[in-house]
Amino acid sequence: MSETPLAVNAVDLTKRYGRLVAVNELSMAVAEGEVYGVLGPNGAGKTTFLRMLFGLIRPDSGTLEVLGRTWKADGPRALDGVAGFIESPKFYPYLSGRKNLELLAGLDGAGAASRIDSAIDLVDLTGRDGDKVGGYSFGMRQRLGVAASLLREPRLLVLDEPANGLDPAGIRDMRALVKRLAASGLTVLLSSHNMDEVEEICDNVTIMRTGDVVYHGTIDRLREQAPQQAHRITTSDDVAALALSRSSPHLQVIARDGALHARADQSVIDSYVASLVTAGIALRSLALDEAPLEALFFMLTETSPDRVPSTYEPSGAVA
Amino acid sequence: MTTTITTPARHVVLRPSHQRRGGMGAALQWEVRKLASQARTRYTLLICLIAPIAIVAVINSQQRPPKDNIYGRYVHESGYAMPLLVLGFAAQWVFPLLTSIVAGDIFASEDQHGTWKTILTRSVSRSSIFWAKTLASIGFAVLTLTVFAVSTIASSLLIVGMQPLQGLGGQLIPPATALALITASWALALAPLLGFTGLAILLSVKSRNPSVGIVAPLIIGFVMQLAGSLGSVDLLRRFFLTTPFESWHGLLVEHRFYGVIEQGLLVSVGWLVVCLAIAYTSLRRRDITGG
Repeated sequence: MSETPLAVNAVDLTKRYGRLVAVNELSMAVAEGEVYGVLGPNGAGKTTFLRMLFGLIRPDSGTLEVLGRTWKADGPRALDGVAGFIESPKFYPYLSGRKNLELLAGLDGAGAASRIDSAIDLVDLTGRDGDKVGGYSFGMRQRLGVAASLLREPRLLVLDEPANGLDPAGIRDMRALVKRLAASGLTVLLSSHNMDEVEEICDNVTIMRTGDVVYHGTIDRLREQAPQQAHRITTSDDVAALALSRSSPHLQVIARDGALHARADQSVIDSYVASLVTAGIALRSLALDEAPLEALFFMLTETSPDRVPSTYEPSGAVA
Repeated sequence: MTTTITTPARHVVLRPSHQRRGGMGAALQWEVRKLASQARTRYTLLICLIAPIAIVAVINSQQRPPKDNIYGRYVHESGYAMPLLVLGFAAQWVFPLLTSIVAGDIFASEDQHGTWKTILTRSVSRSSIFWAKTLASIGFAVLTLTVFAVSTIASSLLIVGMQPLQGLGGQLIPPATALALITASWALALAPLLGFTGLAILLSVKSRNPSVGIVAPLIIGFVMQLAGSLGSVDLLRRFFLTTPFESWHGLLVEHRFYGVIEQGLLVSVGWLVVCLAIAYTSLRRRDITGG
């Protein structure tokens, strides 16, 4: 196996707020050049981890190395080569987007100012860069946040829920932008609560739940462990349809929220639908429920640990 | 459920990245450029320039001078009396307000706009940011006092005239000496003004609320003045930040005394150092979880 340089190396990182353990012994290794996802619902500890990475808060224990530097030994120099934003990027609303970038470029030192035009162009803010940020939409601020990060010509780009709060077109554009940046060889560490986003963009993922890591590994490995596809079914007689499902040992059907939720291989679902019609039960709707990976994500992060499928292995192979 | 982390085998740590950083000078430049782009800062300086001219013109046009105030009775007799009247008045609330407009807002506005994380994720240390903001606040305080003083003195001399000034001991002070004394009197206001700057910075850091940072020093100044006017707190009064604003009285008597000036300087420096030390420690230790 070839040696892989690490952009982020966290070992047993813990952060407590009083009795609340926000991050519990988190270990994570992000290799250079990869697109890495940190996934979890709100309150999982993703942002707390990123705040520690940026030195905004101090860990109570553990070590964190970023591009070969630590906050303890190097102070703010630990952020050399690192850029990104935490939660939604914030700027001075009374200044234009360009003026904000000019100010930040001044903090970054020589060379950053010369990248303003190209950064604005890359995030498609040309023509709006002279407007005050106070009048920007949420999506424009997100893109300005990416532009502000790019001024630093980073080797590691950290984005905390970059598509959060965006409309569908904004989400599409943001994902395309992240993919473009990743394709340029940049290491991207992306936090999200959206399984689709991570699946689409990332190579490896750490899934967190209330401060704990519940999965660490490749997306492919996670996909292998995902449960079968679920369907949402409504019929003319849900009680009878539920009773009929019990005749098939490979079919799991539960009644929830005024519909039936069936989980099985596609062929079993097909047979079940056919049997409903044969039994005189009218099929009123059939739709894909949650995607398999999303279903696994919910299982990992929302249900009690004993309900996670027995086939699930918490650590996937990365290498 | 147990969790095991699989770490990729044979990882090597990246060579540290070398990036040129702005440092303290860049942070100061950043803060000054930010302040210069704020309308409030520019308007404050404009007011410091124009308001004294209007005040001098209005007082000079009044038939009855404000005799209840120090040097109020002499404002029609000498252009050197007017700046001392304005100085006594401004020390009550104008100076604390002028410095708080920037110093009380300069840290808290980062909380208000949520921009702490924007600037602290750029290889710039909290120390650099703190001292840049502090120096910018001090610079603004010095600038406002200078503009206010020059405008007041110049407009007074032009509107009222350059007659000799009557000292607090009744002695007559020739114009050249009077100009030097009123300039020195205004310069002495700088020390407590910087004390208020420190206080406003502390309140800005601790409260994280620009309104508190701007208004609270003003209120504290009023409370000190009220408490200082009570006869039973003479010892305590020495340590009030408002007391050094009156230290110029020692220059206007026939036999000048400097003890009160030295004490005023010490008290002002004490307030400045203590406030900045607490603010600095607080900012350095703070977890940036919101802004």
